[in-house]
Amino acid sequence: MIGSNFSLGITILLGIVILALGVFFGLLYLGIDRKLVARMQGRIGPPIRQPFRDVSKLLMKESIIPDDAISWLFKFAPVLCLMGAAVLLLYVPLFGQPALLEGSGDIIVVLYLLIIPALALVLAGFSSSSPFATVGAQREMVTLMSYEFPLVMSVVAIAWHTGHVTGASPFLFSTLAAFPIWGQVGPVGIIGAVLLLLVLLFIIPGELSKIPFDMAEAETELAGGVLVEYSGRNFALFYVANAVKAIALVAIVVGLFFPYNLSPVIGIGAAIPATIVDGIFFLVKVFLVMFVSVMVARAAMARFKIDQASKIYFISSTLVGLLGLILLWIDLVI
Amino acid sequence: MSNIKNMDDTKEVKTSYTIPIGPIHPALKEPIRLDLSVDGEEIIDVDVVVGQVHRGMEWLGMNRNNPIQTIYLAERICGICSVSHPFALVMAVEQAAGIEVPPRAEYIRVIIAEMERIHSHLLWAGVAAHEIGFDSVFYLVWKVREEIMDAMEYLAGNRNSKAMFQFGGVRRDITEEQFPRVRKSLDYYLSIFDQLGNIFLKDKTINMRTRNVGILKKEDALRLTIVGPTARASGVSKDARQGHAYSAYADMDIKAITPDVITGKVVGDVYDRIVVRLLEIKQSIEIIDKCLKEMPSGAIISEPKVAKLLAVLKKAEGEGIGVHEAPRGECFHYVRMEAGMDPLACWKVRAPTYANLMAIPTMLKGEQIADVPIAFASIDPCMSCTNRAITVKQPRKGTECLLDLHELSLEKTRRLEAEFDR
Amino acid sequence: MEILSPEKIVESFKSALGDGLLSSRIHQQEVAITRNLFQAIWLSVTPGSFKKSVAHFSSLQDYPHLAVVSSSDLGEEIELIYHFSIYYEYQFKEISVGVRVVLPKSKPEIPTITDIIPGALFTERETQEMIGIKVIGIPDDRRLFLSDDFPIGVYPWRKDDTGPQDLLKTLPGQKVPGR
Repeated sequence: MIGSNFSLGITILLGIVILALGVFFGLLYLGIDRKLVARMQGRIGPPIRQPFRDVSKLLMKESIIPDDAISWLFKFAPVLCLMGAAVLLLYVPLFGQPALLEGSGDIIVVLYLLIIPALALVLAGFSSSSPFATVGAQREMVTLMSYEFPLVMSVVAIAWHTGHVTGASPFLFSTLAAFPIWGQVGPVGIIGAVLLLLVLLFIIPGELSKIPFDMAEAETELAGGVLVEYSGRNFALFYVANAVKAIALVAIVVGLFFPYNLSPVIGIGAAIPATIVDGIFFLVKVFLVMFVSVMVARAAMARFKIDQASKIYFISSTLVGLLGLILLWIDLVI
Repeated sequence: MSNIKNMDDTKEVKTSYTIPIGPIHPALKEPIRLDLSVDGEEIIDVDVVVGQVHRGMEWLGMNRNNPIQTIYLAERICGICSVSHPFALVMAVEQAAGIEVPPRAEYIRVIIAEMERIHSHLLWAGVAAHEIGFDSVFYLVWKVREEIMDAMEYLAGNRNSKAMFQFGGVRRDITEEQFPRVRKSLDYYLSIFDQLGNIFLKDKTINMRTRNVGILKKEDALRLTIVGPTARASGVSKDARQGHAYSAYADMDIKAITPDVITGKVVGDVYDRIVVRLLEIKQSIEIIDKCLKEMPSGAIISEPKVAKLLAVLKKAEGEGIGVHEAPRGECFHYVRMEAGMDPLACWKVRAPTYANLMAIPTMLKGEQIADVPIAFASIDPCMSCTNRAITVKQPRKGTECLLDLHELSLEKTRRLEAEFDR
Repeated sequence: MEILSPEKIVESFKSALGDGLLSSRIHQQEVAITRNLFQAIWLSVTPGSFKKSVAHFSSLQDYPHLAVVSSSDLGEEIELIYHFSIYYEYQFKEISVGVRVVLPKSKPEIPTITDIIPGALFTERETQEMIGIKVIGIPDDRRLFLSDDFPIGVYPWRKDDTGPQDLLKTLPGQKVPGR
């Protein structure tokens, strides 16, 4: 009895540590993102600690709730968004370690959890009673529905392939970590896996509402869209949630495609140095994925229209994803 | 029967609602209100509400200022085209009062006006990129624009409000020693012109966002008396520099640019407006180059003494019009002068955006909300030009008039001072 | 369509309007070094034949261009000038035609021309609110620049009792401008 209580306590403690780290690195990466994009655009950009200042300032500010808004939903939506993003963090392997709440089928759980922050945004939009927010919420919903299919398809394809080849339990991040996809496939399969990776990289800006897929917030069209009425603490929660979500989402891609650790390669056996080396290596991997899918895309493209974005996800991404799936299957058959 | 009608009414309430864009909105650089009736993402109807920054400038020109002061007032009608309005005004007054302008002054006027066109079109290109969420291009173009701003500062002493114009000529000469600096700017723009063209005409996302968006057909453009690049992009060969022989433009061979030069056909969409403006940058470079080469020598002003000029203007009797092709289109001024009267008897300003706003409902109907910023920006709207403060005697509940605000401000200063002393 | 000289244009107006054309003036000005001509025509027509004169433009030019309507208070009368422009497609052939109509203040009414030139709507709305005339048959009767709380019956460009004199306020330390 005492032992299980003790391990529960450790788990809760670890959970809090992971959340704190998630928030910290989420905001840090946001700062790096802003600085680097600014440099790409020929600007100086804000200091890297700017997101921390933003959050601390927002927390001090008054939260204004519009008269016509559905008050409880308006206040609940940011909490739900942050909760969704936080729970997501617990199911994703971070810093080269297995996920805190790992267990059978955690990949499936993660796929469902990914919807919660997006749904919270939709709720926020509809509850704030502004026409801009309403249009933003509609767009967020359309985007969500459009990228969901290619997202699920690519994740499931990888998990299924690994499970099939190795005979280990599929839909587990630990299985993928033990048997990275690149080691299990032949030349045809590698092309398929690359295509699936591309699809996922393309979905990340959509999930995070970043240019070119920031239709739901579209500053010049909807003046901030779903979040137009949010201010103060409520807005700070969304701000933090988005940063946490960015880390979690990129960690999923890293967990699916690059679950390698550095410590075995360079031969560090001791537990603590190995943990530190793997943690830093994880942060580097996250940075690289973010750099390609968020920063470069943001600097190099214009915002799509909602119908164009929908077509890109629903038709182009799905077709590419299907092709990847078929290639993986052919790889199995051969 | 009435029941059916009611049902229809409720249905309509459900399917369409109004989105107000403006008066303050990130997509608008200046205040205007577009009331959009939308159904989902599609725009059903648009109503344009202007007047938020009406400053009563024509009234000032007709009641308070002498004509020379009015030049500098006209310069401040618009924040961007600070040459176009004085240009048209001095032409109108010179015509009304019969003042001759030396040829050298005409050439200097044209050089300054064309430099302004380059700066204005580049500024627009940046704003347009920002409207479609392409901030990298926005920053790039505005960086490029600095070169012409520096050149203008070098010639006129200021980046924007250049105060070059005077009745009967210009106030500052452009000397031989200054030519190399101007040429350097022109060479710079010629060297990067292809690069700019590549970005704006070939980039895939820009193409996706601007092709077949905000279409204005040639017939509509003619019917609605649209002017400037907006009209030319619809295939209308309308350019004041081509039609009227005025200033040094009378010595140039300027043809109105329509987009079929590059694209082969005229669609009248946002993309075509980009094409026209890009080509006009090149045209402006050529005009400035020609002016520098052929600039005649001689005086730059027919009457340099302001007091004498004022006396002439006070005696003048007559009326005149001034037409200048501003970067956004035809800028039109009408002036009537009465002998013995200090201010102008009548001054009417017609800025290009005033005419082009008529095109907005036609352009936006049937488009998506996402197209509003870029389609609206594509006419390069300049609201401060269009509107020209009226203080209201009995302010609406909750609004304060200028005087009250001023007093409130004084009161706060006094209060803070008192607190500080304590 | 053939390009008429300014004299011919005045002739054509004379034959189209008859007594409706009160006076005409041709302004030609040589400019710059090549001495090309800047051309303008000023016509003065009666309120009754105004609409006919606008219709007559259509025989000179498909889609005549209307720049703006300028208006001034002459005391007992209000003068409107419609600034048209024709032949704008041809190089240095464009002619500005100002059509002047003088309306008595007792009956300041003029028919709309939006049926011939739809683009005239804004300037008609502005003229209506600023100088206090009535445009008969205007499709959109709302104010353009003036806000809704601006008093009814005050016209900023009038120089009589209905002018904005009562509304003028000045900042502390400044005089009310007098005419």
